[in-house]
Amino acid sequence: MNRNLRKLLVTAGGIAAALALWQFMATGPMAGGPLPPVSATLAELAGLLADGAFWTSLADTLVIALAGLAAAAVAGVVLGVLIGSFEPFRYATLAVLEFLKPIPPIVILPLVVLIFGPTTQMSWFLVFFGCVLPIIVQTVAGVHDADPVTLDTARSYGLGRTEILARITLPSAMPFIGTAMRVAAPAALVITVVAGLLGGGPGLGSSIYQAQAGGNYPTLYAHVVVLGLLGLAFQGVSRLSERRLLHWHASYREVLPA
Amino acid sequence: MNTTDTNPTINIANLTNSSPAGGGRPPRLEVTALSKTYGTGANAKCVIEDLTFTVNTGEVVCIVGPSGVGKTTLLKCLAGLQPATSGTSAIDGRTIAGPPPEMALVFQDYSRSLMPWLTVRKNVRLPLRHLHLPAQEMNQRIDTALEAVGLAHAANQYPWQLSGGMQQRVAIARALAYRPEILIMDEPFASVDAQTRFELEDLCLKIREDFGMTILVVTHDIDEAVYLSDRVVVLGSKPARVLDVVDIDLPAARDQISTRSLPEFARQRTTVLSMIRKPA
Amino acid sequence: MNRKLINWSLGIGTPLLLVATWWAASQNSTNTFFPPLGTILERFQALWLFDHFGSDVMLSLRNLVLGYALATVIGVALGFVTALVPVVRWALDPLIHFFRGIPPVALVPIFISLIGFGIEMRLVSITLAALFPTLIATVDGIRSVDPSLKDVSAVYRLTRSEKLAQVYLPAAGPQIAAGMQVSLQVAFIVMIASEMLGSSQGIGAMTLLAQQSFMTSDMWAGILLLGVIGFGANMFFEVAKNKVLAWYVGSRRLSKS
Repeated sequence: MNRNLRKLLVTAGGIAAALALWQFMATGPMAGGPLPPVSATLAELAGLLADGAFWTSLADTLVIALAGLAAAAVAGVVLGVLIGSFEPFRYATLAVLEFLKPIPPIVILPLVVLIFGPTTQMSWFLVFFGCVLPIIVQTVAGVHDADPVTLDTARSYGLGRTEILARITLPSAMPFIGTAMRVAAPAALVITVVAGLLGGGPGLGSSIYQAQAGGNYPTLYAHVVVLGLLGLAFQGVSRLSERRLLHWHASYREVLPA
Repeated sequence: MNTTDTNPTINIANLTNSSPAGGGRPPRLEVTALSKTYGTGANAKCVIEDLTFTVNTGEVVCIVGPSGVGKTTLLKCLAGLQPATSGTSAIDGRTIAGPPPEMALVFQDYSRSLMPWLTVRKNVRLPLRHLHLPAQEMNQRIDTALEAVGLAHAANQYPWQLSGGMQQRVAIARALAYRPEILIMDEPFASVDAQTRFELEDLCLKIREDFGMTILVVTHDIDEAVYLSDRVVVLGSKPARVLDVVDIDLPAARDQISTRSLPEFARQRTTVLSMIRKPA
Repeated sequence: MNRKLINWSLGIGTPLLLVATWWAASQNSTNTFFPPLGTILERFQALWLFDHFGSDVMLSLRNLVLGYALATVIGVALGFVTALVPVVRWALDPLIHFFRGIPPVALVPIFISLIGFGIEMRLVSITLAALFPTLIATVDGIRSVDPSLKDVSAVYRLTRSEKLAQVYLPAAGPQIAAGMQVSLQVAFIVMIASEMLGSSQGIGAMTLLAQQSFMTSDMWAGILLLGVIGFGANMFFEVAKNKVLAWYVGSRRLSKS
């Protein structure tokens, strides 16, 4: 009890100290400069929440991220299952996937902006590109991981190819797909912001760029705070959904003491 | 003083067995009223209560009891790895507050007690590095220990490449190379096949002979306890208490075949077994 | 044997086929967005080998390497302290968790406003952004060291520094390595972003400049170089990781079989 109380005090104290330091720096040594005081930032934040344009911007970001993620999920799983189920496909695509996998979408951003312009489609495409690859790779791994004993059993019972796919392969690949989605969801948000910040696509990323370019520091910081909270929300929701949807799988079961 | 098997009373006050059984050996390890309770208030769970017994120098003492009774908790509190709620353990009169340098432990969960990034040889070497021994002596100790447990051929393999029984033997070799004065082992031979178990039991007796080590073994195998020990501490269940301490009146020189066929062996075995089996 | 041969030829042949197709399809292209592959490669050689090598390529790489090295060292050290000193952990945890949710690239405008457009800004951005994944992974790794290993350290009375260096560090190794791999990605991304937002020097800056001037082949040359660097850095890391964590790879392989 004592320990929990201490922990709470230290945690609260840490946050308070950080905010106090920020306020001190902003009103003292760096007054009038690019670091806005906490008070101004919070005031701006409140102002944003009342501003319709902000909500539009937020909605743009969310829609692009989720739409890109959804498309990547569908395409990723379909392609992943195809590639994972047929060995020749797997070998053929291996080099391409391995090469593209570590390359972040920012690398092709100039090209995509050139083709699509600073538009929603541009942002959506970047999100799609960034998310589809890890999902494909993870799905392939998941398909590959299906228990051979279960597969043999199914075959010996005369189950057709599609049935095996739907009833055994896909469910056993679910944890891999789940992990990929859990990682891809926050990534989708990040890519949307990058597309806005660097490519001019609609959403919070663009708002940040404009705030910085215009020297509007309270707005800049307020937006960053919003993004921080949004990022946390995305991570939390995706982790929760993964747990919810996949609670039946062996990897989540706890071994009860004998 | 032999206790008979017709005495079922759990009278803790009488059981501070300080009378040396093995012919006048001085006490080395003394456990006094050791208790451990987890949690507080309504959720308090008393695991071991008021445990008192003594291990004399150069003795082999086995602790037996029903499974899950708290033997591992007892060992951890005794060795100073966990703080006891009350009571003490002491070596030569000095209270144990943390793991003493003269003591080595072989854990029950052997696979998790070995460092997976080190080879067998390096695992055995780990405690010795800290002692700053000259390289030659260090290597000699490692070689001797690995040979004693029969793993000289596996010195350059990794723990996860070995079977459970072999991993356990690595943990034992590690303790042996350390040359402790007091060796405490938690179900050390549980995962080993019967043949190897007999060899390791004899190894146990041999190191007691060669090094004069004081050995405390937790085991659920009654035969093993009777075979190995000078005395057996019998624990009763939930919370664990010392039911009795049985002197093993078998000849000092033990042999797997002849000792186990003695009528006295069977009698002592029955004594201990019926104590455990009795409803608490 | 036959099957293996087929697989190998597919593995090597398909990418070669794709490149050849790209070459052929784009050979006489007048499309603004997709210039002939030949021209791209020509511009690639002209720009990066070795005209702008010193001024731009080395600049970017130097920032990347320096920033990443700083981030990993600070991340691991701070991670150790955070994991092992409860007061520090209680105080820092909420801050870390808040900052980890912020897209690293979004911090660059803030650094620009605070530090300006120079090299310092880029270095600070890369270091601070890449710090978090390693820091978090180190804390997680150390917190999840098997209690049995801690018991062993206690029983054999290892000193504090022996315990940290010989037990905690290797035990948390796999997790720290995973964090460091993410950090590498983040460092790479922020390197590019910081150049695109704030400078005229560096591969990212040049690529963006080319795009804005409709010098498409130059832009493609930049994209290709960045792609190669991204892939190369990651591969380099994987090789190093598999070497250092050979024991881990082996044990995982065994537990899977």
